[in-house]
Amino acid sequence: MKFLCVPCDSPMTLRTVSPPERGSLSVVYTCPECGYEIAMLTNAYETQIVQSLGVRIGPAETAAKSAGAGCPFSAMIPGVDAAPAAAERRDGGPDGVGGSALDWTAAAEARLARVPEFIRPMARTGIERFARERGASEVDERILDAAREFFGM
Amino acid sequence: MKRYHEIAGDGGSRVLEQVADQRARIAEGLAGVRHLVAVGSGKGGVGKSTLTLQLADALTARGLRVAILDADFNGPSQARMAGVQEALVVPGTEKVALPRTRSGIAVFSMGSLLSESEALDFASAARGESQTWRATREFALLGEILASFEWGALDLLLFDLPPGAERIVQYADYLGPRTSFLLVTIPSAVARAVVGRSVAALSKAPNTLLGYVENMSGYYCRDCHAVKPLFTSGPGPSPRSVRQERAGGAAEPAGLGIPCLGTVPFDPELARQCDLGTPPAALRDTPVGRSLDAIARRLLDSLTPTPAADRTPREHGRPGKEPEP
Ligand SMILES: Nc1ncnc2c1ncn2[C@@H]1O[C@H](COP(=O)(O)OP(=O)(O)O)[C@@H](O)[C@H]1O
Ligand SMILES: [Mg+2]
Ligand SMILES: [Zn+2]
Repeated sequence: MKFLCVPCDSPMTLRTVSPPERGSLSVVYTCPECGYEIAMLTNAYETQIVQSLGVRIGPAETAAKSAGAGCPFSAMIPGVDAAPAAAERRDGGPDGVGGSALDWTAAAEARLARVPEFIRPMARTGIERFARERGASEVDERILDAAREFFGM
Repeated sequence: MKRYHEIAGDGGSRVLEQVADQRARIAEGLAGVRHLVAVGSGKGGVGKSTLTLQLADALTARGLRVAILDADFNGPSQARMAGVQEALVVPGTEKVALPRTRSGIAVFSMGSLLSESEALDFASAARGESQTWRATREFALLGEILASFEWGALDLLLFDLPPGAERIVQYADYLGPRTSFLLVTIPSAVARAVVGRSVAALSKAPNTLLGYVENMSGYYCRDCHAVKPLFTSGPGPSPRSVRQERAGGAAEPAGLGIPCLGTVPFDPELARQCDLGTPPAALRDTPVGRSLDAIARRLLDSLTPTPAADRTPREHGRPGKEPEP
């Protein structure tokens, strides 16, 4: 979608995106010629359809920054697809994978960010279980390497 | 007043750019894969998942490097069949490692991540209206998996597709013309009719249709060691052609208008092993194993040769068995 300032016949540029509120995004566009501003307010379907593409909406700089390590997939619209419902259940749910979450070193956490966001909570839970079984109190890169080895990867 | 195509860029949302980025990352992640083959049907329960794993095993036994992506996110079967239900998804420094079977087949299956009592569920702003966005979301997830996992240098990546004749075309569109298709049917008129629709739909796509495999083509009786008729009303191969197939001859085409790469009998032992996740190698010297080996050979013959990139041959493959020209 593009927006055109009709009086100036000039394409408007995206200025800000507010975090989704009850499924609605507020996206402000401005005309670089006359400074006129408009806001596009999406409904939940519109938000979800764009979000389903695995993209982030936002001014170029923010999107690039939050994409981290050049990964466009971790850059979902913040807060919409935070965690899959099933994974949440698995994380702290009744099938109790045992105890509270383990600490992760920054390096291990950075590696975990390479797992697609949707399956990340499931990967985290599994790795923590593996770490606990080995008596570790923290997930570090050594644990990740041990898990890779163990599963013949 | 300016029109859409007169305005450069997309107004700052970067949606198109990001979708293009995703495509580039997928292409880069699959750069070391020589052949992408999607195993589909249109029909469910005909043995797509079973044959995908058996075929992967037959190809592995020929010294090829093979991985399976179970694209049936909602009804994943590969984790159980391949015995990787308990495997973890572990991130490396660049890509995420793939679980492997004992015979070395790399397998991504949602069944390694979700227990069988859980349904695949996405959080959504448009809950209760999933018909409007769900397929898009699933394809984006497929893209994320293709881009993030360590496919590395492979001879074949097999996609185990979900049922649905319309979905097959969506996979052709999403995976692009590099992916060729292998269809699975069974000798019943009901199944053949649905698979015929998949053939019709796919023939409009630029993708190569390698042919089909007729599964459950006769019943292998373990008491008398003979293949007996299973579906008697359908347009399946005659008992004579079943015998020919067992003798290693080419299977009789059954009217789908595309090459038949072979037939596989129903073997109760195969069904049992799928449920248990027993390594497929156990069936290698049975009618099922021999059929699959013949199908693997015909499949390799039908794939257009692509130049090997870095490829060092796999260590534990049979030496001197690189069938690629
Ligand atoms: N040739 C065969 N012999 C015995 N059982 C088979 C055979 N092909 C498939 N099956 C069984 O049939 C069922 C359905 O097969 P599956 O591969 O899951 O089908 P699909 O993936 O097409 O839905 C499974 O339980 C599988 O073990
Ligand atoms: Mg299946
Ligand atoms: Zn203006």
